[in-house]
Amino acid sequence: MAAKITVLDPPSSASSDSDIIEQQDYSDVVFNDVEEHEERSGDFYNTPASPITVPYCPRPPSTGSQKSPRARRQRTTSLNHSTTTQSKTDVMIRTAQRTIYTAGRPPWYNSEGQKVEPFVIGICGGSASGKTTVTEKIIESLGVPWVTLLSMDSFYKILNEKQHEIAEKNEYNFDHPDAFDWELLIITLERLKEGRKVEVPIYNFLTHSRENRTKTMYGANVIIFEGILTFHNPKVVEMLDMKIFVDVDADVRLARRLRRDISQRGRDLEGVLKQYTSMVQPSFNHYIAPLMSHADIIVPRGGENEVAIQLIVQHVHTQLQLRGFKLREELAHAYAMNSGPRPPTVKLLPTTPQIKGLHTFIRNKDTPRDEFIFYSKRLIRLVIEYTLSLMIFNDKIVETPQGVPYQGKTMSTNNICGVSILRAGETMEQAVCDVCKDIRIGKILIQTNLQTGEPELYYLRLPKDIKDYKVILMDATVATGAAAMMAIRVLLDHDVAESNILLVSLLMAESGVHSIAYAFPKIQIVTTAIDPEINDRFYVLPGIGNFGDRYFGTEPGDE
Amino acid sequence: MGSTDIDNNYVNGLEYCKEYKRLKILPANDQTKALQTILRDKNTTRSDFKFYADRLIRLVIEESLNQLPFTECNVITPTGATYKGLKYKSGNCGVSIVRSGESMEQGLRDCCRSIRIGKILVESDSETHEAKVVYARFPEDIARRHVLLMYPIMSTGNTVSKAVNVLKEHGVKEDCIILSNLFCTPQAVQTILESYPRMKILTSEVHPVAPNHFGQKYFGRHQ
Repeated sequence: MAAKITVLDPPSSASSDSDIIEQQDYSDVVFNDVEEHEERSGDFYNTPASPITVPYCPRPPSTGSQKSPRARRQRTTSLNHSTTTQSKTDVMIRTAQRTIYTAGRPPWYNSEGQKVEPFVIGICGGSASGKTTVTEKIIESLGVPWVTLLSMDSFYKILNEKQHEIAEKNEYNFDHPDAFDWELLIITLERLKEGRKVEVPIYNFLTHSRENRTKTMYGANVIIFEGILTFHNPKVVEMLDMKIFVDVDADVRLARRLRRDISQRGRDLEGVLKQYTSMVQPSFNHYIAPLMSHADIIVPRGGENEVAIQLIVQHVHTQLQLRGFKLREELAHAYAMNSGPRPPTVKLLPTTPQIKGLHTFIRNKDTPRDEFIFYSKRLIRLVIEYTLSLMIFNDKIVETPQGVPYQGKTMSTNNICGVSILRAGETMEQAVCDVCKDIRIGKILIQTNLQTGEPELYYLRLPKDIKDYKVILMDATVATGAAAMMAIRVLLDHDVAESNILLVSLLMAESGVHSIAYAFPKIQIVTTAIDPEINDRFYVLPGIGNFGDRYFGTEPGDE
Repeated sequence: MGSTDIDNNYVNGLEYCKEYKRLKILPANDQTKALQTILRDKNTTRSDFKFYADRLIRLVIEESLNQLPFTECNVITPTGATYKGLKYKSGNCGVSIVRSGESMEQGLRDCCRSIRIGKILVESDSETHEAKVVYARFPEDIARRHVLLMYPIMSTGNTVSKAVNVLKEHGVKEDCIILSNLFCTPQAVQTILESYPRMKILTSEVHPVAPNHFGQKYFGRHQ
């Protein structure tokens, strides 16, 4: 695991190997890293290698002043979980033999479009206790395609110059609760829990500051928050749905340490024991062990405890099912609630002969592609013009060349942007650009997972400050509404107000219209036609067929 | 020019529609009003003017096409289902009145790629101010076609009257003529529809003040 960290976190020099995450790896990594520093500090071997080596007092007295803190710092350098999330991503993809994270993001809301509150698991324990192994095993057994992993180590405070010097001398206590930026941590966790996008800092343990780039994370079905002091702050504890404490006997940890330090590091028994008793154990006792009282489950023996892990996984599964995560089918079959009248937010273009005529062209399976494109474009232009007429306008009196003032109107905002749902929605971009000068366009790629039939989010590029814009969300056809709902959810997660979103399409199915209108009552839905049915392949009937394929000429060969 | 009492009821000209059944006004919404506002504003730059004029033209043209005859027609969609659609009858053409009418040709082309377009040049005699047709060129079989007559600004209706006369001379039936227009005055509506009661007018606004700067600004001829 540490190896993965290195891949992603250049400053960390940790080794390169290991696919399998085991306790032992800690030592390897720690020492690899340490070795590097060793060249600079002669008395290195006197320093404890354990992550938890600092005496519990915030400013430790001089006992081997360079030693303990150095170890502390080294540990953080090597083991730092600052990028754990990222690295974990890689790990998970390889170990689970499924596309877990790189696959699109599956729905993180229920069929009513409401966010399903993610299940948040907190994992606490001394860092040699095997939190990481437990985490890994839980994620693996869960088989949930989308898990967000947040590590406390991302939230170390930025050190000022003086503190940095102290840290250089290895006298800064990274284990003390004060070393963490709790405010940011709490905000981040809160937003993740709301399913919103967060920027998680990437902590650089060499400079003790945050890197310029951040890691973007989204709330997921399951969020795992791990660290040595995860249960320290009551606000955080409140947000956790399940609290796991990984407990490993002190003598086991000592045994590990002895084996590790002596056999692999060539250190003497005396030194290791001394370090353990003077620093590691007090630190654990003072800060970490008391947190056990907050735990719902205490997992003895860490990652080896299969029974405990299975119990945890079962519980999480039950919880996820209760919260409901199956979408498209549910939407397609939710016809019962479609019988009512169409909600007022649904704006259907007046069905003029003109619109009908255009539909006749594009629906006809024998229409050649150039005509299909031509007539689609005309229809798109009409629907976009109509969409603009739904914006808010203010009165405006202008001077005319004829010298008579004219009582007119003007659009109240210029902040309009288009967002297309790839691929079919892209066909509508040009029309938006044709009617709005210099409009910004965002893109969202959502594909249907052929196995599950569920939509998955693959790609996202939105204008900055999209929250200040009226958003014209475009997709050529809307059948169940699953993809559109996902796109809407993405916009909402980017703080776009629901009332600022207009979903525009050429053709929608009755059930999709209702599902979306029901889920997002403030969104305006604009379309040129609403068809009554959806077939079992989620195509609208009578429909257009696959609009994107026909427009871009990528239809599968004649059947 | 008859009774042209202009009261304040001209807000979007709908009153005239009651009086003249063959006057159609583009469904009024804030969006078209905003476009009209930009076109009327004397401070609008030329590039903006053209951009928004083209948008309004496109809307008017699309709506004009709505007035053309069609028949029902069923098609099979790629999903194998039947769609009950409509098909436009062939035998239409456009005729623009030079020169401001030409501003609408592109809009028509954008909707109907291969439609035939004829032209009429009407000039007013510099002495008598009488409108006179100096040039007309139509598709040969125009007598059998529906004609979309394009002229964006109509203030007196004299020019259009002349053009309609020429069309009728070429055998076009009065009820096959549809005038596509952006702005017209109540007076013009009256003049035209009283002289040619079977013709249709489609406009975006009926307003006593005609934005006569349109052609100059659209084509960039500043005086």
